[in-house]
Amino acid sequence: MEGLSKHQALASLRARIDMLEKRPLLAERAIPSNAPAFFALPGGILHEIFTDQIRDTGAALSFALGHARKLLSAERPALLLLQLAKDSLNIGVPYGAGLKSFGIEPDNVVIGRLEDPVDLLWAMEEAIACRAVAAVIADIATPMKALDFTASRRLNLRSAASGSSTFIVRYGREREASAAHFRWRVLPASSAPNPFDARAPNGVRWHVQLEKGRLGSRRDAVEWTLDWTGNGFATVEPQGDATQPAGGAALPGAHPAAMGDRLSQAG
Amino acid sequence: MDEAAAHAGLVLSQSLSDARAICPNLEAREIDRGYIAQAFADFADWHSNASPIVSVLTDQAEWGDLILDITGVSHLFGGEARMLDRLMNRLAGLGIAVSGAIAPSVGAAWALAHFAMPQVIEGDMEAVLAPLPVAGLRLEAAQISALNQLGLKRIGQLFDYDRRALQARFGATLLLKLDQARGFIEERVTPRLPLAEYYTERRFAEPIGLMDDVLMTARDLSFQLSGRLEGEGLGAQSFHLFLYRVDHKVMTLSVNASRATRDALHITRLFTNRAERLLGEYDAGFGIDMIRLAASSVLPLGETQIGVFDVRDGTADLDQLYDRMASRLGPLAIMRNKFVNTHIPEQAVKLEPAIARTADDPHAAPDPVLKRPLRLLPQPEPVTVALAEVPDGPPPGMVWRRINYRFVKASGPERVGVEWWSLEKPLVTSEAPEGEPADIAINDGIGLTRDYYIAEDEGGRRFWLFREGLYGRGEQRWYLHGFFA
Repeated sequence: MEGLSKHQALASLRARIDMLEKRPLLAERAIPSNAPAFFALPGGILHEIFTDQIRDTGAALSFALGHARKLLSAERPALLLLQLAKDSLNIGVPYGAGLKSFGIEPDNVVIGRLEDPVDLLWAMEEAIACRAVAAVIADIATPMKALDFTASRRLNLRSAASGSSTFIVRYGREREASAAHFRWRVLPASSAPNPFDARAPNGVRWHVQLEKGRLGSRRDAVEWTLDWTGNGFATVEPQGDATQPAGGAALPGAHPAAMGDRLSQAG
Repeated sequence: MDEAAAHAGLVLSQSLSDARAICPNLEAREIDRGYIAQAFADFADWHSNASPIVSVLTDQAEWGDLILDITGVSHLFGGEARMLDRLMNRLAGLGIAVSGAIAPSVGAAWALAHFAMPQVIEGDMEAVLAPLPVAGLRLEAAQISALNQLGLKRIGQLFDYDRRALQARFGATLLLKLDQARGFIEERVTPRLPLAEYYTERRFAEPIGLMDDVLMTARDLSFQLSGRLEGEGLGAQSFHLFLYRVDHKVMTLSVNASRATRDALHITRLFTNRAERLLGEYDAGFGIDMIRLAASSVLPLGETQIGVFDVRDGTADLDQLYDRMASRLGPLAIMRNKFVNTHIPEQAVKLEPAIARTADDPHAAPDPVLKRPLRLLPQPEPVTVALAEVPDGPPPGMVWRRINYRFVKASGPERVGVEWWSLEKPLVTSEAPEGEPADIAINDGIGLTRDYYIAEDEGGRRFWLFREGLYGRGEQRWYLHGFFA
């Protein structure tokens, strides 16, 4: 009996902590347990999207846009892309016609060009709190001191409370402590063969690793190769590539032992 | 004419040769009336720190007559007499010869300022006006000389004169000016600065200094103003907060809303954001003793139904969000995409402030068939490219920012020609010397043609790059322009 009551006490304490940390808000948006559930992740989540190099900027931004695309609705019609004005020289500015090619109506997108990191964080918080904003994507090309654990925790709580998702796109191998619910590592991948012209590139393809957070109950599913259909993500089966053994996590160009890889990068 | 000139023996309306004879080192210059009138107008605006309604009377002279409506202002200076003293002293301190008067009518004040000692009068204007010359009524020169011929030299003589005879002989303007000077007919002045019809203000017994207090007052004033606007079914797009400092300076805080509003909390939030931004420039000096909140760009705004029939489409929320962001970050920080009807990629989309959106051009929507990159570099960056294997073929690789890329897949070219019908829009690349592209365009019409290629490297990065100029015709330059997803 005593053991049971101890269990009960523990459970109630955990529930209280969860409540304090606003976990129920995340939990009640039940994330589907089938593996590639990130096809349509619910809103109200803080994501971090890392890519290794500045030159992979297209892949990282498009992955964030792919997620955000699913969150746009009649009630939440807006998508904010925020970046520092000085970064735009380096990584370019989001291009309206390109957004349209990607499948996002440019009219829904508002581009914010901020002067300094404090303004950027302020603008993010302000935008997340708005109930008409589907997602906020912050594109941060340079290391930012102001974006520490506390700041990301604030963003996380705000996202959870308002239901609009936040995507922080960052570059490099460094990983700082953050309160993000999911941390993705995104790399560009060679596109699928173009059915009309073998020499021409086709649509978007990414290698995606989930470095933090869990999708559903499967712990092993941490790596995927994804295609963009113009409307959503589609997984690419690794059998398609003859040089790679079928099945498992061995994907073309993927890093082996993703868990170990993550640990080595943590420092 | 100033004292130095009078001392030298010069008089008004003297011929230039006489003046030169009297004063041999005289330097004559033509008067630049437009410039002086403009300078005087700016000078008049400066006086808005004393009163919001400042006007220049131009019926007698282009400049020189400054009218201030000091209704409800004089207490800031400790009474009307002290206000007059103070305003005149500060002008005298600047080395300006000045005379002034405070009177209940514009005409009386003008007459007193021109023909009497500086003074403040109220109530019985006729007694004060009576001994002044008729020129004090701002009459035309012909009217004045005619009156003088009849022996009517003082204003007081006109009071008891038969009005019909006066009108018959001197025209209706004489009677009008006379009645205006006596205050029987109201004379209106045109304020130089736009006048806010809707405003609320609060005065403080003790000057306040803290920004928080100012914002708290702004909040109270917003609620008052909002109530007033609501009563008349109006909303406003611009709000101005005037902070009147004890040392007669005015600080202005202005915010704009993208759509007309009267939501007091929203207005307060805009001011709070704006104030946070300008905190460094905020200086209360010796304190603020009056705050005024004014609304301009007032538009009709219907009643809003809140509750059952509320449609949550979010557009109102978004407009308020952009207002708030723009109030702190500046209007150029929050932009939306606007398509322009042109083929030239960097000109086809321009960014415009989200709070000042203009109508879209229906012909400007991008062609969905054309593939466009997700990101565009602000300026195309020159890259080094190995020679293409076939004419007009895609390049096998490039060096960009000192890194070598080898392309495994490529498609193209997509040719973007110069828009011959609008040569004032040359294609500008980062290295093109000024003036040269337009010359080439006129010479053969091909110099600015671009061939765009989509190229994918081994790592799967997709670039958008172009060759400037046609293959085999002179020097070719390659540029990287954007990144695909």
